[in-house]
Amino acid sequence: MLRLFDTGNRSVTEAAILCGLNFYSGYPITPATEIAENMSRRLPLAGGYYVQGEDETAALHMAVGASLGGMRAMTSTSGPGYVLYADPYGWAIGGEIPVVILNAQRVGPVSGITGAPGQGEFYLSRYPTHGGNFETIVLAPEGVREAFAMTVEAFRLSERFRTPVTILADQLVTDGWEAFEVPETREELESLGLPLPDRASHPGPDFYPDNTLIDVPPVVLGRGTGGACSDWTPTREGYDTEEIGEQMRHARRLVGKVLDNRGLIDRSESVCLDDDPRLVLVSYGSPSRTVRRAVREARARGLKVGAVRLRSLWPFQDKLFQAPGRDHLVVELNCDGQLVREVSRASGREARFLGRCGELPKVSELLEAVTLLLDGKKIDGGYWAEKHGGVFR
Amino acid sequence: MDRLFHKFLRARKIPSTACSGCGLGQVHKRVLLALERLDLGPDDVVWGTGIGCAGRQTFNTWRGDNFAGTHGRVYAIAAGLRVALGPGKKIVLTAGDGDAFGIGLKHLLNCARRNVDMTVVVADNLGYQSTGGQFGITTPRGSVTDSSPYGLNEPGWLGGGLDVLEILKAAGATYLARHLSLDGASSVESLVMALENPGFSLVHFIYPCVTHFGAVTLGERDKGKILGSFRAMFAGGGKGGPTDRDDGRGGETDGGGRKDPGPQAGSGPVSGDPAFRLKRGTYHDGRGLRPEFAASLIAWTKNVREGAGR
Ligand code: SF4
Repeated sequence: MLRLFDTGNRSVTEAAILCGLNFYSGYPITPATEIAENMSRRLPLAGGYYVQGEDETAALHMAVGASLGGMRAMTSTSGPGYVLYADPYGWAIGGEIPVVILNAQRVGPVSGITGAPGQGEFYLSRYPTHGGNFETIVLAPEGVREAFAMTVEAFRLSERFRTPVTILADQLVTDGWEAFEVPETREELESLGLPLPDRASHPGPDFYPDNTLIDVPPVVLGRGTGGACSDWTPTREGYDTEEIGEQMRHARRLVGKVLDNRGLIDRSESVCLDDDPRLVLVSYGSPSRTVRRAVREARARGLKVGAVRLRSLWPFQDKLFQAPGRDHLVVELNCDGQLVREVSRASGREARFLGRCGELPKVSELLEAVTLLLDGKKIDGGYWAEKHGGVFR
Repeated sequence: MDRLFHKFLRARKIPSTACSGCGLGQVHKRVLLALERLDLGPDDVVWGTGIGCAGRQTFNTWRGDNFAGTHGRVYAIAAGLRVALGPGKKIVLTAGDGDAFGIGLKHLLNCARRNVDMTVVVADNLGYQSTGGQFGITTPRGSVTDSSPYGLNEPGWLGGGLDVLEILKAAGATYLARHLSLDGASSVESLVMALENPGFSLVHFIYPCVTHFGAVTLGERDKGKILGSFRAMFAGGGKGGPTDRDDGRGGETDGGGRKDPGPQAGSGPVSGDPAFRLKRGTYHDGRGLRPEFAASLIAWTKNVREGAGR
């Protein structure tokens, strides 16, 4: 293993290259610019192509176009660019084309603060485009090392499910520095399931079969299959149609291929859940690191708390929140409370909320909140706290 | 068309669902004739389409590989696809005026700037016709449409001294041509040059929409007569249109000092434009003058890699 000490931007770049990335289309945006820069430096040396779109809409369209031609493609951005992906994101979902997208979330609303972490695109990553009738696959790393491993997983899932996969990171993950290891020997690569198999092409000219199977190769153009790919509702043969029955069939495949195979997607980490604690802290991404420390310290003080860290966000893992008798405290980098709504829905009980904007909550703040909640007291805070017994400072 | 049909098209989509009398079929046929002239077959061409009548009616008609892009973005998809395909395969894109010159213009211009090897065939029906006949980017000023019931109060890019092909030329396109859909051999000739160009080519066809622009704006459903009106409208003399009664209202002057008639509220169905002369045939020929995007990216990347290896 080659040991590096570098940023998440770098670890994602190295992982993508090991996945056989041969097309990266970027558009500069803080805090994801360094991925583009790293790619422009590293990718040509590894036999891939770096291009820059005229905007994010073009960047993702170009990546999808390259993928449609059989290349392994990726792009990355932050919130303001992620929202511009709506068009090509939907195209890739509907056309069932693999592509990997990284979003280094920064604090919003809108342009917000470029150099501070946020978690405002939790729901946007579920519905990154219009029209519904699809499921998305979203992974969430908590740090530099995990961003490396998750990039590999994102490429694998994207190929197997023939759909875009978002790595929903945040500014602390991409800009943060940490040691990580890059596999070098064949054994080391194989331990990560690398190299990924070459892209096969859908035999065509028919579109995808009427089932929810994965590991069906995507349409690849230019290989003489007579394949067709579009944003229209496809007939079995790939023709555009206005038939409701065909639309139902298409939607069923898009939704079903993800939900029927979600065992391959679902990922989470449990901290101190063995003795069924009363209060469970829930988080994803960089706040999970303070949450984990706070839970361990609380345990050391004899408090019965645990934590669930979501490593995959969508499809949402309801079953993690359905153990009886548990209260949940959801910790997020936003003050409107996004993940908390899903946890409340999944658990059937109103979850508590602790939100911070642009910086991580302190371990001491988390400990204080946990202590109050376990004592049956309210934690102080503003609007959301009144509604949901949470705290926003 | 029978010979071309068997050679190039898919039975399922032909005849298309275009309105009877629509000029789109003429444009489609010219492209097939040019491909035949160049001895290009289904395996040699990947065919992409935009949104609107021009795109929808040609999507997946090609016997080879097909794709349809989101509205106005098919050019950006094609740029990525170009890198993956490498040289050899042709990319043909059929799209409408709204797709190419409206919502997609930024991507189109950047494909021209990069000189991405693709042949864009813009089938221009002078407005948004698949949605029922609203004015668009090339609709002549003064035109009555479903969204300009009192006449169009803004200039189009085919008049008033403005020409969208001039913008594309300045952006770096290496082959540009313009035709009416009735142009036979001459338009096939232009398409052949476009397809041969290892770079960004665009052939602009103005064609008659019988259902909306024809019926509503020109008060005419006959394809031949509509084409006749086009000749008058774009002849540079504004023959037959209300705007040759230039009354001096509004009006801007273009670089040549000719007068843009300005808006003509309620003045009638046809707007001739004295400031626009339709030149049919090659508009700009810069074939081979600039490096092609994907080829140069591939060569450049190879140099970088080999340089690092030394
Ligand atoms: S609406 Fe007009 S352009 Fe569209 S198919 Fe009908 S006649 Fe042709």
